[in-house]
Amino acid sequence: MHGTLNLVGYGLSAIGPAIATGLIFAAYINGVARQPESRNVLQPIAFLGFALAEALALFGLVLAFVLK
Amino acid sequence: MHITGHLVASGPGFVPPSTSDFNLPSIVGHSAYTTKPVVAVFFSIILISVFFILASRKAAVVPGKLQFAGESIYGFVRKDLAQEIIGSGFLAYVPFLFTLFVFVLVNNLFGIIPFIQFPTMSHVSFPYVLAIFTFVIFHAIGIKKQGVVKYLKGIAFLPGVPKFAYILLTPIEIATYFLIRPVTLSLRLFANMFAGHLLLLVFIGGGDYMLHDTHLFMKILSPFSFGFGIVMTFFEFMVQCLQAYIITLLSALFIAGALVDEH
Amino acid sequence: MASNNEEGALWSIMGYLISGLLIWGGIGFGLDHWLHTHHYFFLGGLLLGAGASIYLVWLRFGRQ
Repeated sequence: MHGTLNLVGYGLSAIGPAIATGLIFAAYINGVARQPESRNVLQPIAFLGFALAEALALFGLVLAFVLK
Repeated sequence: MHITGHLVASGPGFVPPSTSDFNLPSIVGHSAYTTKPVVAVFFSIILISVFFILASRKAAVVPGKLQFAGESIYGFVRKDLAQEIIGSGFLAYVPFLFTLFVFVLVNNLFGIIPFIQFPTMSHVSFPYVLAIFTFVIFHAIGIKKQGVVKYLKGIAFLPGVPKFAYILLTPIEIATYFLIRPVTLSLRLFANMFAGHLLLLVFIGGGDYMLHDTHLFMKILSPFSFGFGIVMTFFEFMVQCLQAYIITLLSALFIAGALVDEH
Repeated sequence: MASNNEEGALWSIMGYLISGLLIWGGIGFGLDHWLHTHHYFFLGGLLLGAGASIYLVWLRFGRQ
């Protein structure tokens, strides 16, 4: 077996953003389901939270491939 | 069936499927133009043409079975994708979206249709070509609608931003529109089809290996691997339909984005 | 932003993030290569790119 431990590390670090994205959209769906008219307020917040979580995941991806 | 020959030829020990399983030999002769994916693409074109010519030949007010099938696919792309997303003036883009959807759908479904069992889009060059089509079309629409200078200015310079921020933002916007969008469009389709086919190879090939193993224990367990392969085949059916939908949806969204004036 | 194509918005957010990291990280990587420094410009470029693309996402999707 051969490979690099970087990818194992990336796999572990991707768990965090995955859970974060799940939580963000769970809360967003909950909010919209309880109060449909709040959608316009919640949507930008959900998107920004998604962007922040996703940026960390992509950060990990880039670092896993570049750092030696 | 190439996986079986691969395993038998490699002797003892399980050899997991790899990228080399996607390089299939040519069917007729030794030409690169008669390999399985290329033949499958041509076959899909014939299949789609024949189906829709038959479905639309006798257009009746009360549709027959074939006409109903053809019309429901067309109606789905037209109503749920084109009209919903592009809005007014959507009719001009329905032919492109419809062709894209049906072509990708049929070629994806080849991955689970018996005797073909190879998703054409798991070779990355096919999604690249589709993404180039979408890329050229949505930029052409934007330039035609808004003019070259105004269209490029709308992409590169977002209104309502302090001047110094343009140094940071303009390269990102340009890269997104001219590089990331076509690349992600094609890679998403490719990666899904590639991974799905690899998954099926793992389960079916693994079951095959276990069945031919000398231990009785492995023989008893092999149906589980085959059973999971069958479950994954149904899962793949879902993924294949979804990916055909997503590439059409994103193409429609790009066209809609090129049509609206951002100012 | 119309609220009915959330899926498209999510994909384009991801596109912005990828290209932000790619462009500014790439510029940093090039500077490192050129100046023979060890990953400092690259890491700075990544942070800058992530910040810029999140700002861009806020401009496109976060403003009311």
